[in-house]
Amino acid sequence: MAWIKSITRGLFEPERNTSPGELWFFKFFELFVVCYTIYFVWKWGWYTQLRNVEVVLPLGLANYIDVSLFFDHYLTLINAAVITLLITLCFLRKGPKWLYMVVLVLFHLQHVIRFSQGEIPHSQHLIGMSVFCFAIGAWFFPGHKQMPRFVMGAIIFFIGLGYTSAFFAKLIGTGINWYDGRHLWLWISEKSIDILSREGVYSPNFLQQLALNSTAIASVILLIGWFTELIGFTMWWHKLRPYTTTLLIGMHFGITLTMNIRFDAFVMQLILVGFPWYLLIDNVVKSAPQWLEKII
Amino acid sequence: MYVHMNMTESLRGIKIIGIILIIYAALVATHEGEFWPFSIYPMFSQAGNPWTRAMVLDVTELPDHIIWQEHQLDQKIAPPVPLRSIGVDQIDYSNFISKTEEWTPTRLDALRQMLGPSNIQDRRWMAAKVHGTLVGEDSVSVTIQPFLLVTADSIYTNPNLPPGYYQKGAQ
Repeated sequence: MAWIKSITRGLFEPERNTSPGELWFFKFFELFVVCYTIYFVWKWGWYTQLRNVEVVLPLGLANYIDVSLFFDHYLTLINAAVITLLITLCFLRKGPKWLYMVVLVLFHLQHVIRFSQGEIPHSQHLIGMSVFCFAIGAWFFPGHKQMPRFVMGAIIFFIGLGYTSAFFAKLIGTGINWYDGRHLWLWISEKSIDILSREGVYSPNFLQQLALNSTAIASVILLIGWFTELIGFTMWWHKLRPYTTTLLIGMHFGITLTMNIRFDAFVMQLILVGFPWYLLIDNVVKSAPQWLEKII
Repeated sequence: MYVHMNMTESLRGIKIIGIILIIYAALVATHEGEFWPFSIYPMFSQAGNPWTRAMVLDVTELPDHIIWQEHQLDQKIAPPVPLRSIGVDQIDYSNFISKTEEWTPTRLDALRQMLGPSNIQDRRWMAAKVHGTLVGEDSVSVTIQPFLLVTADSIYTNPNLPPGYYQKGAQ
């Protein structure tokens, strides 16, 4: 089918040669994912050890095993140490090709142990999805011939899908009037309580004041964000990707300003995968050393 | 230049993505939209609904007959305790207060442990629910409802609320 071939070409660019810059970039991106994974698992591990007492909302595997068993005896810290060790081996391409999948399962476990307290955050999903795509890539598409293209293509596929899915979740959850500016007022007031609770003080910024003063302005803000989510899937085509990514990054800044929700890892990852950075690197680096090829 | 993924291998790639997509859909469909890192990304999908969050207010200096009174946010009777300063995630805390249906002795004690007796010391902290709702065409009402009074060694429920309020099914 033509549309499947079109998406395939957009994601994996089978007609384009792999350049040294692409290999360097790919390994740098993997390092970024590995560093964030290590940062998250230790952060969640410490929080759980210090704060989690009882399971309030079981997510994922926590529906089937009692994750409160991991709240004590430094088990989350031990899990963090095991993940750190295994993902370092994966990064160096040591061990069996399914090792990344083991990392993913332990990473999932760490997530559902930490986030069993009622909160369902979405800011770490992109790092989680990236580890998942690395796991599939390492297993089914190993080697420098296929792995960079498959992993990056798969990550871009799921990012695009995620945004478009968010658009439809809103359309189904609320209806076409989702963009009614008064909905934004409710969220701004809700988030203001979170800030007040966290910091002890809160005062609205310029954009929030603007939105709170006019339903029309608030509606336009929501409409722009919603439309941007709808076209998220257009990043599947490499020619459109930089434009879609720029809009998505703009949307995230808008959400940060209006609702005080920050997406550091999310936005950094969008910046990394949304633009053809390898072209820049190719201007500087003309070859990839053998040790680099070995760990791709 | 290096050899790269050709069209046949790329089509195998999209086939694998298709299989993952089926597993993805099956997992999120059977787990209320979330099976990390898979998600339908439902954040902000239900617009316009009233919301409930939570805060901790320091009511140490207030007389007893005032502390349990429901009031509006702009007439706040006591200063909030900044949760960051005591190392508690405010979203976790908020969910703990708003999503707990059955306030068993264990759950009450878990709240006291979460806030930390060493942080509370000789203060009196009010765990308050905060309700927001659209009123009329053009305003949002934010009400603070005192819920549980927490001291270093005890917890007290709000005497103004009906006795069944802290049990399952009541809101």
